[in-house]
Amino acid sequence: MSEAGSTRRFRVFRFKRGDMDWHFDTFEVPVGPSSTVLDALRWIQRKLDRSLMIRHSCLHASCGTCGMQIDGREALACVTAVADLGGTVTVEPLANIPVLSDLVVDMEEFYARFPDEIGSTRASEGPAGAEVPEGIDAYERFEDCIECGLCLSACPVSATSDEYVGPAALAAAQRLLEEPRGVDPAGVLDWAAAPNGAWRCHAAFECTEACPSDVNPAARIMQLRSVLVRGGAKDGAA
Amino acid sequence: MMTQSAPRPPRDAPHVLIIGGGGTGGALAHDLTLRGVRVTLLERGEFTSGTTGRHHGLLHSGARYAVADKESAVECIEENQLLRRICPGSFEENDGLFVAITDEDMATYDDFVRGCTECEIPFTELTPAEAVRLEPMLNPEVKAAVRVPDGTMDAMRMPLRFLATAKHHGATLMNYVETVDLLVEGGDVKGAVVHDRVSGADGEVRADLVVNATGPWSEQVAEMAGAHVPIQPSPGVLVAVRGRMSNMVLNRMHRSGDGDIIVPQRALSVIGTSSWTVEDPDDLDVPEEHVRRMYEEGAKLIPAIANAPLRAAWSAARPLIGSDEAAGSGRELSRTFKTIDHANAGIGNFVTITGGKATTLRGMAETCADVVCGKLGVNEPCRTREFVTLPHTAFYAEPERRLA
Amino acid sequence: MSDRVPGVQERGERGPVRRKGVGVPTSGWFDPRGRAIGGFAFAVNRITGLGLVFYLYLHLTVLSLLLRGEQSWNDFLKLATSWAFLSLDVLLLFGLLYHGLNGIRVALVGTGVVPNRQKALWWSLGVIGTILLIGGALHIYGSM
Repeated sequence: MSEAGSTRRFRVFRFKRGDMDWHFDTFEVPVGPSSTVLDALRWIQRKLDRSLMIRHSCLHASCGTCGMQIDGREALACVTAVADLGGTVTVEPLANIPVLSDLVVDMEEFYARFPDEIGSTRASEGPAGAEVPEGIDAYERFEDCIECGLCLSACPVSATSDEYVGPAALAAAQRLLEEPRGVDPAGVLDWAAAPNGAWRCHAAFECTEACPSDVNPAARIMQLRSVLVRGGAKDGAA
Repeated sequence: MMTQSAPRPPRDAPHVLIIGGGGTGGALAHDLTLRGVRVTLLERGEFTSGTTGRHHGLLHSGARYAVADKESAVECIEENQLLRRICPGSFEENDGLFVAITDEDMATYDDFVRGCTECEIPFTELTPAEAVRLEPMLNPEVKAAVRVPDGTMDAMRMPLRFLATAKHHGATLMNYVETVDLLVEGGDVKGAVVHDRVSGADGEVRADLVVNATGPWSEQVAEMAGAHVPIQPSPGVLVAVRGRMSNMVLNRMHRSGDGDIIVPQRALSVIGTSSWTVEDPDDLDVPEEHVRRMYEEGAKLIPAIANAPLRAAWSAARPLIGSDEAAGSGRELSRTFKTIDHANAGIGNFVTITGGKATTLRGMAETCADVVCGKLGVNEPCRTREFVTLPHTAFYAEPERRLA
Repeated sequence: MSDRVPGVQERGERGPVRRKGVGVPTSGWFDPRGRAIGGFAFAVNRITGLGLVFYLYLHLTVLSLLLRGEQSWNDFLKLATSWAFLSLDVLLLFGLLYHGLNGIRVALVGTGVVPNRQKALWWSLGVIGTILLIGGALHIYGSM
């Protein structure tokens, strides 16, 4: 942020608990060639308005906490370059999840949609041809999903329904079918076949577009449905 | 999949206010709650949004410190083995390699191996051919490699398990509440003056004892009570490039230097880090020169890094214990941790826990909780060595109602 | 001694929920910012679906004119061969083609047959549909 000269205008969504309604505040922020939107928001918080509430942690697209709508598109603020954006940047919290304050949404509502068990680690596809060291069965890695909520914000079905479990939860369920890790697939399928599960998706694929971590939730929902269609679930309701 | 449970602290239990919601604060909230202490924890941003969330995610074997900072090394290996038991499923347990590339690196080999032995860090010596079979993208010019029990953690989600467990056992955790000042009456700290970012309201939180667990901000917070903490904020640049280029953590075998570690993080490879010192941990640059250096040094371990697209470049401040006089680049300072009882300087009810590494969060919390409970007259032993923590998703669930 | 923080206790209340669009939730389907082919296809599918239902109602209404005898039917035919009306027929053809072809796309993608080809399917079926639409339009106008 110490580079020369240019500034950018940011229109930032503001809401505090107890307000009658939300509004936008406009700030002029000095930016450099490699500034990110999160850099700018942290600068605003530090130099212009300490009451601004923002959510971040890892600063490198691994924790998923800085998800928001930037010029109407879902993105992680920490890896969105200001240089790629226009003269005035509009920043709003994610859609379809209740706002806590300013740019932060209440992630309890996001996690409440998930099935009871989700896997955190999985087999690593890693660099090709890697041998596994003695004493380790297989290389493992964390699941792609960083629980950022961008998919839920982008989903047109979630825009009109708070009951639909949403892409992240369904993708997590499909991953459990693909690699059970000790979880009973029948339970997962029953959960997915429920009225607000996999069948409420209408293949808009906006979730896959928005996902910063290559989870491809839409394709996973379709694969889940293909299992259900082939009689995977013993649920008469489907 | 049920873990143990513990009763909630009774209403008349002593009340501790923890300032700082990173790994240390979270682990301390967990430890104290299990000892029957009522805990309120305040964090000015999202939990782990300080230094804790930003590191590369290394679960330390301690081998990095086995030669020059044995105290740290021993702390690391003990906590490394313990964390795998109390946070199962939160690590990529793929081990790590220390790799010698140049003759200068090789000159440190014997000291390295001796250091690991003395610190009781399990290790296996490998031939270059074996190393490349385990990690095909490793620099083919590798001269020697030693396998150690490094691992990868999710820098936010692992500490979140401690916060989740504390919350479900009765601790009050408040994020987005900034401590603006400390309440000092008659030489004793009585609580904190706070600003809540959710509502925009100001208020106070009073407690029987206040713990400062704010990492590199420790000095700033301690000054609110007129106390002093010898903390030297020491930032470093980290770079994440696209492509999972290794499963094991790759370390350069040499005396500490820039860009000598690569940690896989999902589909990214994180290269770290550099080192300088600052006064204010909120004022961190990301010098272009350091970003280039990460690429250069990283490419010495994994040549493909040279052409890997950049995902992110950022800075994080280590909380190094030491004084301004001792600081050069910051690399000479110890990575160990310290509990400071400010009563020794005439300020009552105020303790700081600082220094340390992400891997030692539980151990730091134990020593601090021992001091805190000693001061409060709470005679409970630490239970965190065996208590399996709840999964991080439990943090977002409402605590179950318990009777009494 | 108070250990409550004013304002924080109210966090239990739900805050506002941001929706895309202009107040009506379904308007978010048509916000072009951040929308890709799939979202656009979804939105147009809904419009054409409603359009076809409306057409069905119209069609039945028109057919009911037959109950009123030959004269009203002949009056209707004069209207039905006007330029404006034929253009509506072309619009109907668009709706049928779009909804039908996209429906095939959704069926193939949505049952997991080709889940990763949704964009390619949209464009290729779109080409086919455009050709059929142009051919059909020429035929319809040509009948004037």
